[in-house]
Amino acid sequence: MARVLIAEDEPHIVESLSFVLEREGYDVAAAADGESALASLRGARPDVLILDVMLPKLNGFEVLKQIRRDPALVSLPVIVLTAKGQARDRRMAEEIGVSGFMTKPFSNRDVIAEVRRLIPG
Amino acid sequence: MPRTLIGAKIRDRRRTLGLTQARLAATLGISPSYLNLIESNKRSIGGRLLKRMAETLEIALEDLDGAAERRLIGDLEELAAEPMLADLHLDPSGAADFAGRHPDWARALIRLHRAWRDRGEAVNALSDRLNQDPFLGDAVRSVLGRVAAIRSSSEILETVDDIEPRQHQRFVSIIAAESRRLTDVAQALAAYFDRAHVGTRPITPVEEVDDFLFERNNHFPALEQAAAALRADAGIDGVCRESTLVEYLGRAHGVRVSAAPESGRHEDAFDLASRTLVLADTAPRATRRFALARLAAALFREGRPVEEALAASSLLSSEAARRRARRALWSYLAAALLMPYEEFLAAARRARYDIDYLAQRFEASYEQVCHRLVTLRRPGASGVPFGLMRIDPAGFLTKRFPLPHLPLPRHGNACPLWAGYEAFQTPGATVRQIAAFPTGERFLFLARAIEKTRPSFTLPRRLISIMLACDVLHADQIVYADGLNLSSSAPTTPVGSNCRLCVRRDCDYREEDPIIDA
Repeated sequence: MARVLIAEDEPHIVESLSFVLEREGYDVAAAADGESALASLRGARPDVLILDVMLPKLNGFEVLKQIRRDPALVSLPVIVLTAKGQARDRRMAEEIGVSGFMTKPFSNRDVIAEVRRLIPG
Repeated sequence: MPRTLIGAKIRDRRRTLGLTQARLAATLGISPSYLNLIESNKRSIGGRLLKRMAETLEIALEDLDGAAERRLIGDLEELAAEPMLADLHLDPSGAADFAGRHPDWARALIRLHRAWRDRGEAVNALSDRLNQDPFLGDAVRSVLGRVAAIRSSSEILETVDDIEPRQHQRFVSIIAAESRRLTDVAQALAAYFDRAHVGTRPITPVEEVDDFLFERNNHFPALEQAAAALRADAGIDGVCRESTLVEYLGRAHGVRVSAAPESGRHEDAFDLASRTLVLADTAPRATRRFALARLAAALFREGRPVEEALAASSLLSSEAARRRARRALWSYLAAALLMPYEEFLAAARRARYDIDYLAQRFEASYEQVCHRLVTLRRPGASGVPFGLMRIDPAGFLTKRFPLPHLPLPRHGNACPLWAGYEAFQTPGATVRQIAAFPTGERFLFLARAIEKTRPSFTLPRRLISIMLACDVLHADQIVYADGLNLSSSAPTTPVGSNCRLCVRRDCDYREEDPIIDA
């Protein structure tokens, strides 16, 4: 079963996203801050990461930078979740290396479509 | 540049009276060709000839001395230097003609220019605020987060037919909870925008107060008299002591003075309700004493002397300008209280305007002495006429009192070569220079960067630069010119007023292209 890690500090969003992704057959784990997200990634590499930009302890960009520097994680597909569709956030993420974008508020259907696109098979 | 710019006024008046040049010249006892030079602003006139001119043309003498026109011309030149007008290639000499012929239209133009600049500043401030206000950024993020949660949960309820009742209830609760949070944020935003209608502070009051002080030649005889009366009331004899002022404030106004050791604010604050003046304990003595003197000035005779001085002018068009002018006059009265006119003038002359000596003699600060020097304008008993500028470390002129022929830019920075800027490189030391303008005017500039106390060691130093200026003609009366070669052939520093307005093409220090094509 393909695995998705959601790094997002808003518990209600985690709950609804987990619900829909599990219904699609994915195995879902969650982390509520940047540090525990990295720990989780290094412990068990998921098939795709949904990463919120505003995370406590270590923000989304920092997490993304560390992922791209880590040989074990460098090719991990990452979907960045931004609260503002601001060009600046997108540019920064693209510079570091991102696989997909979602802006809040999002449609569940779009998230599922992105995840499906990035997980092969 | 000629010293008077009244030629057009004379010519117009002559024509209105139906006089030929030959006729007027004959009445004045000069040749028609000389009169022609005067009317073309190629020769200046003064003294008896000026008086006769005024009498013959039936104009008031003050209307012919040109100081007001020069100020107007300076303002018009700054207006002409606006980048938005660059493609018009305005002829700078047209400003003199325009101001001479149509002073009211010129004033109307200046007023509009100021109002336009005010709008521009307000717009910039507001858009900066929207972009950078942390509250707004957070509020928007919060709204998007709440809506994301609501949308995601409601989509589930809408599309998942076989959802378990327990799950159904769960998502309904999430929607309810997030809706409540969204309500809070939305209400906070609405309240924020209601408050935001308070508006921005216009910059024009600063200029109106500058104009007001200039109109009065920075000298207020009524306030000098009030200062003398106040000294008598307070029983001040000789150098004023802090304790005398404290005692007087308590006795005459029921004011209690207290010291705040580390209030976080280093400035004094007067609370009207409790009639308490809080002085920063860490402030230097001269600053504390001035704060006491200012309060005494503000309360003297219920503030009537200052209000009367304000009412006498039509230049203060807004409450903001009046408030600012009122504070300036409180400081004026306080300075007159601490440094009485005749004593101060006599001491200044004796010491050849040695500012440090005067500061010690009157136990005042360097800045207070400089400001007082610029008020020594009593007709018949005046000191050397000084102009004054106060410059912050970013280069901005925060205070300006110009001399009639010294062009001080109204907005922003001045020429980087001025001693006022060089002074920052050697805080505490007096920097002097003979500054030569493209018009041929030469001035003695003397400047010092003074250090104000900062609230704590970990914060940056607070320096401001105070620059005094006087026509080089008076420089020999001033100790700071000793050793400088004041003759007209001596080397000087070639300066302008600021890069945008300056016509010097070959200056290595030019920072901005000139707008005016000379």
